[in-house]
Amino acid sequence: MQPKHRILVIDDEEVVLDSCTQVLADQECQVTTAGNGAQGLKLVAESQPDLVFLDLKMPGLSGFEVLERIRSEHPLMVVIVITGYATVSSAIEAMKKGAFDFLPKPFTPEELRLIARRGLEHNRLVQQTVALRREKEMLRENFAAIVSHELKSPLGALQQNLYALTDELAEHLSADQKERFARLKTRLDDLLKLIHSWLRVFSVDIHKLKETFQPISVADVCAKAVETAQQHATRKAIRIQSSIVEPLPRIQGDEGSLVEVVVNLLNNAVKYSFPNGSIRVRVEAQGPQVLVSVADTGVGIAKEDLPHLFQDFARGHSQPEGVSGCGLGLAISRRIVEVHGGSITVESAPGKGSTFTICLPVAQAAPESSPTPERKV
Amino acid sequence: MSEPKRLLMIDDDPDFVAGIKAILVKAKYEVDVAYNPKDGFQALKSKPYDLLLLDVMMGRGAEGIMIARKLGKDPKLRELPVLIITGIREQMAFLFPGQAVHPHFVPVDELVEKPVAPKLLLEKVEALLKTAEMRKAKSK
Repeated sequence: MQPKHRILVIDDEEVVLDSCTQVLADQECQVTTAGNGAQGLKLVAESQPDLVFLDLKMPGLSGFEVLERIRSEHPLMVVIVITGYATVSSAIEAMKKGAFDFLPKPFTPEELRLIARRGLEHNRLVQQTVALRREKEMLRENFAAIVSHELKSPLGALQQNLYALTDELAEHLSADQKERFARLKTRLDDLLKLIHSWLRVFSVDIHKLKETFQPISVADVCAKAVETAQQHATRKAIRIQSSIVEPLPRIQGDEGSLVEVVVNLLNNAVKYSFPNGSIRVRVEAQGPQVLVSVADTGVGIAKEDLPHLFQDFARGHSQPEGVSGCGLGLAISRRIVEVHGGSITVESAPGKGSTFTICLPVAQAAPESSPTPERKV
Repeated sequence: MSEPKRLLMIDDDPDFVAGIKAILVKAKYEVDVAYNPKDGFQALKSKPYDLLLLDVMMGRGAEGIMIARKLGKDPKLRELPVLIITGIREQMAFLFPGQAVHPHFVPVDELVEKPVAPKLLLEKVEALLKTAEMRKAKSK
């Protein structure tokens, strides 16, 4: 049977190698030994041990050199140094260079067993983390492909034919039939939009936004957002009042995605407002930041829901009737704002309304009206 | 009235093709269809077309993009206007909605997202045909 763990001991003193083997080797543990640094490195590369014990003071290649080589070639390998001088300073030096722990000579079998167990446990956790991270990455990448092909393509084909059929049958359809066609299209549209926002959350690397940051005006961002959200608001007879406190410094950012954030907040405000209510948007500079706040006088958010608000798929418990959504809007908004180095916060009282505030840091050394940087061709 | 314009559509989803073709045929275009890149390229070589409608994400990966690249390198075929129809715009990350995207595989091309509303489809096709004609007139 293959032993569960493989431990390598690198030490120039035979007595240490022997005693380590005696103490650690059993059915679960295979111990290999190396009498000098060069041989040790060779065995590390060949057998990829789970745990390495390494003497710091050896003739030839020193323990520190071996440690550095192991760290650069196998950054995840767990190395415990054996320090002969029993000086704390050399042990600390080794830990700084990436050793997991140190074992001062002389040591008792019990000490050796304990520290080996800890080292192996650490190795297990490291391996597990690596595997999980890889799995998550794969899931993220594949999700985009799966979703876009397996779900979006058929929905797109359906929608395309609905478009064509409504067009072809236009003269033969009754008003009621036309209405049903229109509703089918809306339902399909909603589904497609939902898939888009899922893709946003899982597959798009939001940090790429930074590569195209430009000096932008937050006042413009808000004006565009208000324009987009206006139709929803008008339908519910809700007034959007904006006030912009000049002067406003520019910020470094991506206009499109910041507009999306503010539209998101405005749409939420409309969604959770009572008809004939009003929403206030305020933009002002405060120290090194520009603040955007969106305040409504709607249903408000229960205290217990507040901490989860900006997480994926979070939705409040007290939803007004007829409100639908998947709870991704705020999570996406948070990510966009954070990529801008900013933060998003909320204050709310049930029955009184909510105020969302976005803080965005002002661009450093960006003059009041800096021109758009030249594009590299 | 002049001859009807002849369009070629390359897309591997027959249902989607049906939905697009119906709109174009109703608008008096003549539409040929190829359901894979190979047949599509064959058709382009064998018959003159006025415009190509191309799905860039066929089969495994972006075989449509390969076609667009090949067209760009062909001195004759690169003058053909191309309307790229795609379902992958969201992967191009945060493009501003409604903004026109010009992939520039060939001199005259444009990109629309699946599904395409009939009005938008016809507008784009007309605009591309017109641009291509103007280009031709200028070069003469």
